[in-house]
Amino acid sequence: MTKERNALRISLLGELTIFTAAAIREQLLAGIAGAEEIEVDLSQVTEIDTAGVQLMVAAKREAGLQRKVLSLTGHTPEVLDTLDLCELSAYFGDPVLIHSRG
Amino acid sequence: MAKNIMIVDDSASLRQVVSITLKGAGYDVIEACDGRDALGKLDGRKLHLIISDVNMPNMDGISFVKAAKGLPAYKFTPIIMLTTEAGENRKLEGQSAGAKAWVVKPFQPAQMLTAVSKLVLP
Amino acid sequence: MNLDDALQTFIIEARELLEHMEEALLRIEQTPDDPDTLNAIFRAAHTIKGSAGIFGIDHIVSFTHVAESVLDKVRGAELRINSELVALFLSVCDHLGVLIGHVAEGRTPNPDVHQASSELADKLQAYLGPLSHCEAMAGPPVEHAGKAEPVAAEAVSGGVDSDNWHISLRFDRDVLKNGMDPLAFIRYLTTFGSVVHLVTLVDGVPALSEIDPEACYLGFEISYRSDANKAAIEGAFEFVRDDATIHILPPHSRISDYLRLIADLPKEELPLGEILVRCGTLTRAELDYARRQQAAAAEQPSPPIGEVLVENRLVRANVVAAALDKQKQVKEHKAAEGSLIRVNAEKLDEHINLIGELIIASAGTDLIARCANIPDLSEAAARLSRLVEEVRDSALTLRMVQIGATFNKFQRVVHDMSTELQKDIRLEISGAETELDKTVVERIGDPLTHLVRNSLDHGIEAAEVRVACGKPAQGTIRLNAYHDSGSIVIEVADDGGGLDKQRILNKAIERGLVTAEQSLSDDEIQNLIFEPGFSTAEQVSNLSGRGVGMDVVRRNITALRGSVDIESVAGIGTTMRIRLPLTLAIIDGFLVGVASSSFVVPLDTVVECIELSASEILAAQGRDQLDLRGELLPFIRLKELFDIAEPLPMANDPDDEECAADVRLPYGAPKTGVTLTAEGIAALSADPELAFILNPVMRENVVVVQYAGHRVGLVVESLMGEFQTVIRPLGEVFTGIEGISGFTILGSGHVALILDVPGLVRRVVVRDQQRYVAKVPGAAERGGRMPSMIE
Repeated sequence: MTKERNALRISLLGELTIFTAAAIREQLLAGIAGAEEIEVDLSQVTEIDTAGVQLMVAAKREAGLQRKVLSLTGHTPEVLDTLDLCELSAYFGDPVLIHSRG
Repeated sequence: MAKNIMIVDDSASLRQVVSITLKGAGYDVIEACDGRDALGKLDGRKLHLIISDVNMPNMDGISFVKAAKGLPAYKFTPIIMLTTEAGENRKLEGQSAGAKAWVVKPFQPAQMLTAVSKLVLP
Repeated sequence: MNLDDALQTFIIEARELLEHMEEALLRIEQTPDDPDTLNAIFRAAHTIKGSAGIFGIDHIVSFTHVAESVLDKVRGAELRINSELVALFLSVCDHLGVLIGHVAEGRTPNPDVHQASSELADKLQAYLGPLSHCEAMAGPPVEHAGKAEPVAAEAVSGGVDSDNWHISLRFDRDVLKNGMDPLAFIRYLTTFGSVVHLVTLVDGVPALSEIDPEACYLGFEISYRSDANKAAIEGAFEFVRDDATIHILPPHSRISDYLRLIADLPKEELPLGEILVRCGTLTRAELDYARRQQAAAAEQPSPPIGEVLVENRLVRANVVAAALDKQKQVKEHKAAEGSLIRVNAEKLDEHINLIGELIIASAGTDLIARCANIPDLSEAAARLSRLVEEVRDSALTLRMVQIGATFNKFQRVVHDMSTELQKDIRLEISGAETELDKTVVERIGDPLTHLVRNSLDHGIEAAEVRVACGKPAQGTIRLNAYHDSGSIVIEVADDGGGLDKQRILNKAIERGLVTAEQSLSDDEIQNLIFEPGFSTAEQVSNLSGRGVGMDVVRRNITALRGSVDIESVAGIGTTMRIRLPLTLAIIDGFLVGVASSSFVVPLDTVVECIELSASEILAAQGRDQLDLRGELLPFIRLKELFDIAEPLPMANDPDDEECAADVRLPYGAPKTGVTLTAEGIAALSADPELAFILNPVMRENVVVVQYAGHRVGLVVESLMGEFQTVIRPLGEVFTGIEGISGFTILGSGHVALILDVPGLVRRVVVRDQQRYVAKVPGAAERGGRMPSMIE
């Protein structure tokens, strides 16, 4: 949590998959519209799939377009595992650099 | 958290073997003996995969798949059809009904496990 | 629960299924068309096979596989269930019981049991034909094959440095909706290899406000290390093959291959070359080299890429050839698949039925248009009729299937029977691509089997006899099919001894079919074998002598509105020629009227129409033959045959509306009783044809029909011209009516009966034959043919 004004934390519950992607998209859109800094808390996410990963990418992009900041926090092992598989941790953590795992 | 897989087949012994195999690999398994039974068990519970035979009494696999794909809770659930070599057109029928994956009968338990792991994230 | 418990379940289940199968088999002969019964049998075999497979009981799998394949043909209506097949499946059922018993006792079957399995499997195989099921015993495809192919391992000059595979994945938008998750496939790859590097292509992902959250926008470039071969790696993506673009490059692939990959994926926002470097698949130097190549290639007038690669010694010519070849095969296969769609037979039947209705409706429109006498409307209606006719023709071709599959079944029959008969006989097939209606194909199997068996059994002589006659020891049976003016002709020919006419005659006399005094032509003698109860085999063989005679063959063929005739030359051979209509659903008919009833005569049987003059009518009174250009033509008065009452005086009914759909006048000719003007009368007398059209019921007309070489006249009152007829079967109640084969509905909504011309002709021939025998006992004078035989 940051101490900036107009910050918002969105906690995602349960699965972050194609089954929930449409609903979470609405939730995130509303969140991004209403705050300057958005923290997406993933600590309650039980499952994540391609649609879920993609949705996070889209959210990040949306925030960027609106000149807002979006960050992912509280990665569960499942989420971390999947982001690692996609080698996208860097994309979310550091938007500039090309990550290399060596 | 274990992933849930439903196996629908009218052969109890086949269900048992598939069930033993999948449980051995860490999945939870729900069994159903035909399309009607299976549809009754689509009660909103989370399923990560459905494996269904085609030729079954009461409700065949194609009708079952169509019905399952119509339920919001299962419209994106991957479905494996159990087809036969001779049933190429049934396979196509199954695919257009929404079962995009298939395993040809007769199969060895290991082949089933292979197909499952292509569709379900660990 | 463990696998042993599951095996017990299998044993119990299999025994239950076999019981069901047996019950269903005993039931199915009574109800051959009941899909549930058939399905029960099929499912038993199918389930036993599937379950046995998962336990790895391979001998049961391979045995039930053949049985299942035969049953599948029955379900697909390629085979009809008959007592022979039922008997075979009952022994299959028993045998499976034995096999399951062995499983229950934990024994492996002994050689005798295996022998029994393969004997039964051979019998089943006979129904499958030689072509279709060579894969019968093949096991399931192997998913993982060992090491990478040597080709891939061989480092060819120009190959990149990397030891890794490169996999490039792009997905269709719908892939996620179909339940497929790209990450699951990638995870699966990690079960037999490791992902060295992976670049997720996120540039295609729209912003949240734009995204369809259920569509897939991601792509992946993967550097992958594995000892598996390409097939195994491709196997990971088998379920998304149609929903994705997948490129798999083996380790040390040529830079040119990467060039091609780059060229194949042109719409990347990020340069793919950079991504490949990022993946570790290409080094920076390799990428630079590739770029120079690309630039150089762009300047040239682009010779075929293969040529360039060979010239640059980047790939060997044979590799290119193989690749191009493969590419071509894939393309051709795709093209063939793309141009075919599968349609459910039921849907097709429904479609044809609807077209039948359309024809009737169109005829109705036509009738009304003519009555209304509005030229524009008539023209439109005529155009509609023409189109409907075209639609009918094209719809009927949809039902057409090639006869080849049916013919091929006989390879095995001939093989097996000739072994049993100890004759050396081969089957020659021609015209396999000839097409005919699916229903006809389904129903011609039995008669054809009988004819082939008959030829094998009675036609072809024993080898010694053949050699003694100076013929080759090997006999030949020939199946041939061809189209002939709206019919399909199927021939079963043998090069045997020909029909023994004397023996046929003796037999027929013995059986009381003809008298010794009758003098018969060769044709007539030959046709006697189609008479009920006739059998020439001196010793009833166990093959064809099963009490079903050639009369049944003829009856079956006649039921399909076909005919069969024989051409036989002593010492040279016999040809049985079946002539069938191309389709069963719709015919071109000729509409005639008797009093207020309408009848349809199948147009292809009509030879000519004759108008009887008053004197001829008079001369024909009380007789049933008339003089047609010097020859006697036997005739039937439909009015008497069907006992039709005189018409009600409706023709003169003043209340009868103009368009009251007089069924006998679909072409709008004025009804009789119309008052003519003086000019009209003059025109009529000047133009007999017009008079005929305008005054149809005033005269008697004779429609001369021909069937199987016999001509018969049908005496009717009015001729109403050609008419597209949708045949509807008579209900149960009417099946006994002689001379009628079905009915149809006219455009006006009235019913017209379709005449069974073969039946009527036969009736007349029999009538005259009997009379001839009765009148002229001992008639054996020269040329003493039956008077009815006018050719």
